[in-house]
Amino acid sequence: MAYYVKRNIKMTWWERMYILAILHGMLVTLRHFFGNLFGFIPFLLGQKKHREIFTLYYPEETAKYPIAYRGRPVLALNEDNLPNCVACGLCEIACPAYCIDIIPGENSGKQNKVERYPIAFTIDYAVCIFCGFCEEACPEEAIYMSDNCDISMLDRKKMKYNMEQLLVPVAELKDRMDFCRDMYGKWNY
Amino acid sequence: MIVDLAITLAKVFFILAVTVGFFAPVLTWVERKQSAIMQDRIGANRADIMGFTALGLFHIIADAAKMFFKEDFIPDGANKVLHTLAPVIALVPALLTFAVIPFGGQYNLFGKEVNLVISDLDVGLLFVFAIASLATYGYVVAGWSSNNNWSLLGSMRTASQMVSYEVTLGLTIIGVLMVYGSMQLTQIGAAQENFWHWGFFLQPLGFFMFMTASIAENKRIPFDNPEAESELVAGYFTEYSGLKFGMFFMAEFIEIVTIAAIVTILFFGAWHIPFVTTATLLSIFDFLGTTGSNLVLMFIHVGVFFTKVLIFIFIQMTIRWSLPRFRYDQIMKLGWKILLPLALANIVVTGVVILALS
Repeated sequence: MAYYVKRNIKMTWWERMYILAILHGMLVTLRHFFGNLFGFIPFLLGQKKHREIFTLYYPEETAKYPIAYRGRPVLALNEDNLPNCVACGLCEIACPAYCIDIIPGENSGKQNKVERYPIAFTIDYAVCIFCGFCEEACPEEAIYMSDNCDISMLDRKKMKYNMEQLLVPVAELKDRMDFCRDMYGKWNY
Repeated sequence: MIVDLAITLAKVFFILAVTVGFFAPVLTWVERKQSAIMQDRIGANRADIMGFTALGLFHIIADAAKMFFKEDFIPDGANKVLHTLAPVIALVPALLTFAVIPFGGQYNLFGKEVNLVISDLDVGLLFVFAIASLATYGYVVAGWSSNNNWSLLGSMRTASQMVSYEVTLGLTIIGVLMVYGSMQLTQIGAAQENFWHWGFFLQPLGFFMFMTASIAENKRIPFDNPEAESELVAGYFTEYSGLKFGMFFMAEFIEIVTIAAIVTILFFGAWHIPFVTTATLLSIFDFLGTTGSNLVLMFIHVGVFFTKVLIFIFIQMTIRWSLPRFRYDQIMKLGWKILLPLALANIVVTGVVILALS
């Protein structure tokens, strides 16, 4: 036996006619249809664009991600063309997926201004979970989550990025750096 | 004799070219593209030949090629014969209905009377509905023979929905028959030469009910319970793949054209232009001689008819992308409690008015 859910919806006579409501609904979709179809005509005449299409042609154009977006982690390359990283290993420890692999080396003077430097720095994106803990743990502003997220490959081994592939000039990470300073309260003392 | 045969073959070829060759493939593109533009998207545009996408029109070719080369899968425990036969039973009636649909009037070409309908049956309208209901067997058999619960549920729903709406459909056209006094589609078309004698003005309620019932017959949204994706996976064609699946789709799209054509003939003046009579057109092109003027008239009429058909296809597509799906009990309620009494009342009112006017 079917039972009916009692809903407190009082429909007006107008709505209960259905046909008029249906025509109204069709008018809405038709307005969108013709607006999008002929929206380029006012645009050609130098007026405001009337198209409302949000779709992007993905591989050719990409959306601007918000600054809080966590894409693949990258290493910052400072103005002297050296990595900010001092191979302290904090990100390695903070990483819940164990995807970071650092081989530290002692500074011989030309590698970095500080005592230690990374001989090899590997991130396995097949393992990375994009949590951003490495970024939070880093005391030297060396590792950052970029807005790049298209890292699909056919070979799992190629997902292991070495240091040359990871380094990104610090200028490109400016916004994210400011965000992190604000967010994690770093360098606020 | 041979001339008659040639004329008939030409008409058959024309209808097949228009429905199977043009409408069925292009409508798949129209449906995707129209819905996309309606919903503020871009739609299919990735299939390209040497970098040209032609607004996504190559997706038709890509879809056809995909369907040809897909594995034709018959599930375990399915009835192989019926499973293979079902799409054919669904597709053939959809094509057959075009045998009686006139796409133009009668023309005097080279001293020969040419009637632009393949078979001018006296009971043309009955033939259309008799054949169209045969397609239901295709859908029911498809669901039954698949050995799948979703399919069976879908075909059960198809059967009940068809039975419910066939009644309304049959009663709705009775009003039209009473007004025009004929079941011959060519005569109904010819009777609508005067703009104010169009079926829409004589049977306004009949038009809305016919449109509703025929969309329900075609199992499209908002009446797509037999294939409701969110409830029954894909309904009666869940277990179909490859070209058999394509045949079900083709049947659906050809039925859209059939509905549009019948609505045009019954309610929207068939091949006539509003306020322009055939005699006026003939007198305008009189300088071309009898055959020439008739030939021009024929092209104008066929063009007008298919323009109207296109408009009704567009309306059906708009309805399909505007409305949500009815619940199952709502469909039954609409069919039996609202449309059926309305159709009966329509007949009574039509009869009274005809009696009063005569």
